[in-house]
Amino acid sequence: MKVELKKIREIKFPSHCLSLALDQDQTIYASCLEGGVFIVGENNKNPEKIINHDNFSSGVSLCGDNIISSDYDGIVKWSRLSNYKNIRQIKAHNFWSWQSAASPDNKKFGSVTGQYLVGGYKYEPAKEKEPSVRVYDTVSGEPIYSFEHTPPVQSIAFSNDSRYLAAGNLMGEVRVWDLTNGEMVSKWRTDNFTGWGIIKGHYYTGGIFSIEFSPDDSSIYIAGMGSTRDPAAGNGKQLWEKYSWRPQEGAPKLLSSALDSEIGQGLMEVIKFHPSKKFFLMAGRMFKGNWNTALFDANKGKILCSQDSGMRCSDAIFNKDGTRLYIAGGKSQSKKIKEGSGSWGRVLEYEVSISEES
Amino acid sequence: MHRRKFLEGLSAGALSTFSWSGLFSAPAFADIAKKKHKHCILLWLCGGPSQFETWDPKPGKSTGGPFRSIPTNIPGIHFSELMPRCASIADKLAVVRSMKTAQKEHTQAINLLQRGNKERPPFVRPTMGSALAEQLGQLGSRIPNFILLDPCPEGNEFKGFKAGNWAGWLGAEYSPVRVGGEFKIPDTDKLDSITDGDHEARAELRKFYSKKFENETKSSAASSYNATFERVRGLMSCADLFNLDRLPEEDRVRYGPGTFGQHALLARNLVEEGAPFVMVANGMPWDTHVFNHEIYQMVVPDLDNIIFQLVKDLEDRGLIDDTLVVAMGEFGRTPWINQARGRDHYPNAWSLAMAGSGIKGGAVVGATDELGVDVIDSPFDERNLFATIFSALGIDPHSEYNLPNFPTFHRVEEKIEPIKGVLL
Repeated sequence: MKVELKKIREIKFPSHCLSLALDQDQTIYASCLEGGVFIVGENNKNPEKIINHDNFSSGVSLCGDNIISSDYDGIVKWSRLSNYKNIRQIKAHNFWSWQSAASPDNKKFGSVTGQYLVGGYKYEPAKEKEPSVRVYDTVSGEPIYSFEHTPPVQSIAFSNDSRYLAAGNLMGEVRVWDLTNGEMVSKWRTDNFTGWGIIKGHYYTGGIFSIEFSPDDSSIYIAGMGSTRDPAAGNGKQLWEKYSWRPQEGAPKLLSSALDSEIGQGLMEVIKFHPSKKFFLMAGRMFKGNWNTALFDANKGKILCSQDSGMRCSDAIFNKDGTRLYIAGGKSQSKKIKEGSGSWGRVLEYEVSISEES
Repeated sequence: MHRRKFLEGLSAGALSTFSWSGLFSAPAFADIAKKKHKHCILLWLCGGPSQFETWDPKPGKSTGGPFRSIPTNIPGIHFSELMPRCASIADKLAVVRSMKTAQKEHTQAINLLQRGNKERPPFVRPTMGSALAEQLGQLGSRIPNFILLDPCPEGNEFKGFKAGNWAGWLGAEYSPVRVGGEFKIPDTDKLDSITDGDHEARAELRKFYSKKFENETKSSAASSYNATFERVRGLMSCADLFNLDRLPEEDRVRYGPGTFGQHALLARNLVEEGAPFVMVANGMPWDTHVFNHEIYQMVVPDLDNIIFQLVKDLEDRGLIDDTLVVAMGEFGRTPWINQARGRDHYPNAWSLAMAGSGIKGGAVVGATDELGVDVIDSPFDERNLFATIFSALGIDPHSEYNLPNFPTFHRVEEKIEPIKGVLL
């Protein structure tokens, strides 16, 4: 199989884009550090602000007739897709909503939080002060579940059948809950995604920044940055790992991971499967190496194609038929900031070409 | 020096060169005594703490980041929301929001902010700790005059600095005794097989011959060695002061479980026991080129609590008027966010805080523009800062060092003025 990416559009946003959603008309919804949620129609290059948030907007999802967006004040907003009018607002957390997601059946919405506070001699995270994971009914806005985890919890994903919810934290711990009864059904920890800084400051950074169920829900993929002695440099491996997680299969087990020979250094913030289920994308920041965006063969784990997008990538989404890839992120804020921040957020649109090699 | 420890030291050193009557008959004693009860704790925030997430927040601005500001108990003054405890004692703190220095790389900036003047090779100016140890300390004291509490053996550029010459022209006896790791000084226990009397007699014999060698050969190496040996001897009598296990559990909980909090508590204890200068370092955690906000959500609340507990404890113990607390790094951080969502080095406009001896509580001096890019009121540099620190501790900032065969050096050159707005 040969896969190629061709950049066909670069859209500038006022600030770094943390999260993306896409509707059937290929309209892009992007949540940004400053200002809230913006939209850009197909073939357009000018974002329009549709939802205001008072702090960094960290998540945007499309659920039936509504847009659900979250922010660093822990606020979750429901807005009408038709006119962007705010119809509900809840205070989900006392700290940031690090990441949020809607279930594939559009019935549930989840958000994860947690402030990293000193909990031990080596700056191990303190126990949570509020539930780190919250799940809401997307129609009524009523809370369904509150789950415990160790903060900060930075990533969340629903299974493709919408039955399970997985969340990963700074310390590389994944917990999975069954949403039919609220029971935690799986839990494991890997030290491969967190770095304790002996070189500059001894604290933990990194963790699991993106989590994704495999298309058949049989395994869970996690992405982030490999362990580093200098977490402040962000120079751990560009890493993904695949785990078995179903209780009936015994203890969670590492099944495969990114190949050392193919990866560089840098924090990976997003992992997403292509609709064909044959490959997946991982993207983030490049500290050292030659790519920050790569497509991996789902069976062999090898890179099919890769490139340096020239920005830090925070989220990505494929369109329904898999012919387009949209990556959200940003560059640096302008040093001439007195003259304005510049448009430092980006969404890049790629054409995805797949061919079977002879 | 704490009276109990002072007397313990004298009784243990019956054969030493000190004598009770001799000490008090010294003509300069009265003047010296004025300074001798002063102390300084430097919370060294190495790496360069962000002014935006601490003392000079810009909420709602493009440079402000995700954290809000909160009012302090000084009307009109706001700190970052990450510092609620400091906000509640703002009337006891003095904040300088207009530091403007010239070095933007760690090595040069650490040198500048530790020594208070630009480098002038080949002469090496003593660091703040060494200069204050010489002024506030007492030769022969059992408690070291300059203690560096530093649990992190690494630290990139700070590691390099640590391996260098702290005391400069003052000589090795004013370099720091560094304690770290498990907060205990290794190899300071007297062997059980040696009696106290034998131990003292051996020490005096060693001292006699080594001093003779030092005088006859004019060996600076021997001088340094002797100074070090004397310091280790002193440490043997006060090693238990460095043992955190001796401190009340309630205190340890209050200061927080992390190494910085535990070291700050140890600093309080050492000052209470008479230590003139204690520097608390903790690697370079403030150097957040990657994920500034994600790291500051943790390190700033830790610092907030430490400053609060320290000031409160010094006050409760009647030590605050004689103890200067300084919390600072070598520069601040950029107003703009880089591609890694970090803030980079920024010496152009940054902040620091002080409390205690000679400091006007509630003073907030200087200002930056609405985005925090430039200082717009009362810029101060490292010389103003050092003049302030010396003045706050009752030391003439413009006095000359007594350095035979050296060019003339002053504690602060060019008669640069202290930051008067923060001084009582």
